[in-house]
Amino acid sequence: MLSVLIALPILGSLLLFLGLGGRKLAVVLSGIPLAISLLLFRGFDLQTAGMQWLERWDWIPQVGLNYSLGLDGLSLLMVALNGLITLIAVLTTEPDVKRPNLFYGLILLMSGAVNGAFAAQNLILFFLFYELVLIPIYLLISIWGSGKRDYAAIKFLIYTAVSAIFLLGAFLAIYWIGDPHSFELAEIRIADFSPAVQTLLLLAVIVAFGIKMPLIPFHTWLPDAYGESSPPVAMLLGGALSKLGTYGLFRFGLQLLPQAWADLGGILAWWGAIAVLAGALAAIAQKDIKRMVAYSSIGHMGYILLGMAAATPISLTGVMVQMVSHGLILALLFDLVGLVERKVGTRDLDVLNGLLNPIRGLPGISALLILGGMASAGIPGLVGFVAEFLIFQGSYSDFPLPTLIGILGTGLTAVYFVILLNRTCFGKLDNRTAYYPRVENWERIPGVTLAALILWFGIQPMNLVKWPQPLAFTLSTQVAQAQTIMLAEATDLAE
Amino acid sequence: MDIFAPTASLHAGAIWPEVVVTLTLLLVLVVDLVGGSSVRKSLPVLSILGLVGALVTLVLQWQQPQPESFLGSFAADPVSILFRGLVVGTALLTVMMAERYIVQSGTATGEFYVLLLTATVGGMFLSGATDLIMVFVALETLGIASYLMAGYTKKDPRSSEAALKYLLIGASSTAIFLYGMSLLYGLSGGQTHLEAIALHMGDAGLVGIIALVLCIGGIGFKLAAVPFHQWTPDVYEGSPTPVVAFLSVGSKAAGFALAVRFLATVFPAMTEEWQAVLSVLAILTMVLGNVVAITQTRLKRLLAYSSIGQAGFVLIGLVVGTEAGYASLIFYLLVYLVMNLGAFLCITLFSLKTGTDEINEYSGLYQKDPFLTLCLSICLLSLGGLPPLAGFFGKLYLFWAGWQAGAYTLVLVGLVTSVISIYYYVRVVKTIVVKEPQEMSVSVQNYPETNWQEEGMQALRVGMVFTLVATIFAGILSNPLFTLSTQAVEQSPFLGFPTAQAPTSESTRLQARVDGALGAFTTADG
Repeated sequence: MLSVLIALPILGSLLLFLGLGGRKLAVVLSGIPLAISLLLFRGFDLQTAGMQWLERWDWIPQVGLNYSLGLDGLSLLMVALNGLITLIAVLTTEPDVKRPNLFYGLILLMSGAVNGAFAAQNLILFFLFYELVLIPIYLLISIWGSGKRDYAAIKFLIYTAVSAIFLLGAFLAIYWIGDPHSFELAEIRIADFSPAVQTLLLLAVIVAFGIKMPLIPFHTWLPDAYGESSPPVAMLLGGALSKLGTYGLFRFGLQLLPQAWADLGGILAWWGAIAVLAGALAAIAQKDIKRMVAYSSIGHMGYILLGMAAATPISLTGVMVQMVSHGLILALLFDLVGLVERKVGTRDLDVLNGLLNPIRGLPGISALLILGGMASAGIPGLVGFVAEFLIFQGSYSDFPLPTLIGILGTGLTAVYFVILLNRTCFGKLDNRTAYYPRVENWERIPGVTLAALILWFGIQPMNLVKWPQPLAFTLSTQVAQAQTIMLAEATDLAE
Repeated sequence: MDIFAPTASLHAGAIWPEVVVTLTLLLVLVVDLVGGSSVRKSLPVLSILGLVGALVTLVLQWQQPQPESFLGSFAADPVSILFRGLVVGTALLTVMMAERYIVQSGTATGEFYVLLLTATVGGMFLSGATDLIMVFVALETLGIASYLMAGYTKKDPRSSEAALKYLLIGASSTAIFLYGMSLLYGLSGGQTHLEAIALHMGDAGLVGIIALVLCIGGIGFKLAAVPFHQWTPDVYEGSPTPVVAFLSVGSKAAGFALAVRFLATVFPAMTEEWQAVLSVLAILTMVLGNVVAITQTRLKRLLAYSSIGQAGFVLIGLVVGTEAGYASLIFYLLVYLVMNLGAFLCITLFSLKTGTDEINEYSGLYQKDPFLTLCLSICLLSLGGLPPLAGFFGKLYLFWAGWQAGAYTLVLVGLVTSVISIYYYVRVVKTIVVKEPQEMSVSVQNYPETNWQEEGMQALRVGMVFTLVATIFAGILSNPLFTLSTQAVEQSPFLGFPTAQAPTSESTRLQARVDGALGAFTTADG
């Protein structure tokens, strides 16, 4: 079942590369994995926090590489999100995109690889899928991007490749230090590692995935990569690919190295809080809508780190919900920004004005943009609020000060989104330039779908929250145990 | 019928593959002499048939390895068989690449194949040589044939310059190697057999070290390890492309075969010393090869530096000297063969049609020649180590084996330099794939339609398809290949990794035979 989620898009991409199919085939091929992942929700066992639908074949057993897959609450949500965003990205693509078969093929290849990474239960298998994304996304940015796309694409490529160095280094270390030597997630017993080694491993993992998420000092590829890529690609980058970073940090940082994680928790919480503030402040200074949204994305990654650092059941649930919510909201915003750019011809906040005008402006798009901005800023009734509230409530007991800073960051998020909405939607249209093309119906579908999901999950959060909850509870106990062990050892030493 | 039957004590069957290649060589020479220009077309076919025959005999030999033959001067153990297979495989693809190239360059046909087959025989003998004299003769056979091939297009001043440079550096490094060997001969009290020398190396002291360094100098030249690499960029740029392809894989594989056998057999008493020297060489080779490749503007020169860098990666396997290390070395050379020759096949095709190998001239090629674009991109990305291509798995094994043996620095340098290598490989892919139609280069604008019916084009196409398919699938389906290399390392006595299973299976077989005999006895009794 899970193999289909990986194989179908990848085989489909080969068909497209051979010149068969086109847009319709791409829509079908990206729809089927989404449908399958939705079916998986029905069969999901809410009583267990472990992996479900396990599949395992020996691939190259001599080096410990097995093809082993499985899903738990978090990865199921991620796979579904990836499926949704892929479909939406294909639907958002302009029908007259140049070299369409290559474009859709690369999107599908990437989508299949991302599914593979989310489902992989073997470290090297994860690494393989993680690296597989590299070239498709490089080509997607550098062929279909705008302006400085060459620079943005190569920067992205190098950052991601560097991230892979840390990752492979950490994985090889886990394999050779561990007993038995294994890359299988289920077989790795970290508990025997010395604390120093665990901390080193965790640092490598944090840097590796901190580049991908991205966390604040490693983020400088992001504004360029998001800013210069076309809207569907930006959606995939922000919606699905950045989740690979948060997912990796969750799975290989928090879950695999709970003791070191508990040890570093305080630093990580502050790190997250600072990222929230820095992202928001940098977004306020931007003049380009896309870059503003890009920096907002950096800020939102700060919440995830904060919630993970606290590692309470509530905050971990919040983190997982935040991953989904961030994916939905970012996809919506990039879709709308792309539409505005396509119709109006600019992304500059100093030029845009009065788009809410019902006759000559883009009222539907503007309304959705307002909704998306509000969701991003954490207004109740929308999914962003649910996620952020869970994170804040879960983290406050452990890290009150960083949490308060995080809440301050939410306020700043509201500030720059108000600036954005004020400059684009409100005001008057410029009479000389305001002859915008009509928004076609097919162009509205992705935005409306995403907005509906954001609203629905905001009103009925249990539909989202219940899936990752078992995992959150199990993990938080693990971390708490690690913490008590650590405290006990510390008191032993003191005595 | 075994024609070597009278000389059975020599185990002369060990060199059947070489005999096949030598006979082909003579046949090509004679046919060319007798037939003149009318038989031109049959020469590459003959060479291909001969090389395929050699491959077949190698496969047959795999069933019955001959670790000792010719009174101890040649070994046909599994490792030697694999390396000889590598050399023959390279020669095979080189012939496919060269057919059109020779026709178009207007040079003499027969001699080229003769030289190539001579170099092949030299490389094959080098892979199994276990005697100082044998090593030297094989090395020089390979070397001299290579000098001649490098200057083969003699009207081209760059080719002549390449040949001269190659000859000067090659001859002096051979002299250095020879001096090292003469020291070994003296140290061992007059032994030429590698294992016999090893017995005397335990207390060799400073002179032993000097001999080691001199030998590494000679071998390092063949591997193009920094600081013995300086010939590579100029020779690769000037020589005919098929020759470069042969040098980059076949000659290098023979060099690695020599390195593995020589260091493991002669210097086991100085393992720490040569491992230290080679780690330094490996680090320098990886760093310099990959960093300098960034600034290259010609694809052949870029691949020259990249092949230096790749040799650095392979050296990791040699340095760690474990079973997994040697196995990953062999596996990497196997996949390196297909991806590097694939890249050279593409370069050959492009330069045949446009007459240039400037990277900028490849701009926008995807529109005119999608097949070439696909093949070149896949091979280059595989050289960069991107999944799921063969090069990814090759590097994974090397780093895995390196980490196992605790060579953390080497692995980390390898990881960092592979990121650098991704940059310059992707830069070429960008030029081919990403550039817009309006950014197309002059060469690509005037790109002629490919006519696969012309002489030698079919062979080129077959070679490209083969390397493309192998580069894509040799990684995903690497299990058999990896088992093969591991087996070869385990079953080659000179490396000293006795198989875990072999003795037990031997003893169980013995036990079974005893049981059977007893059973027969008891039934007869009852």
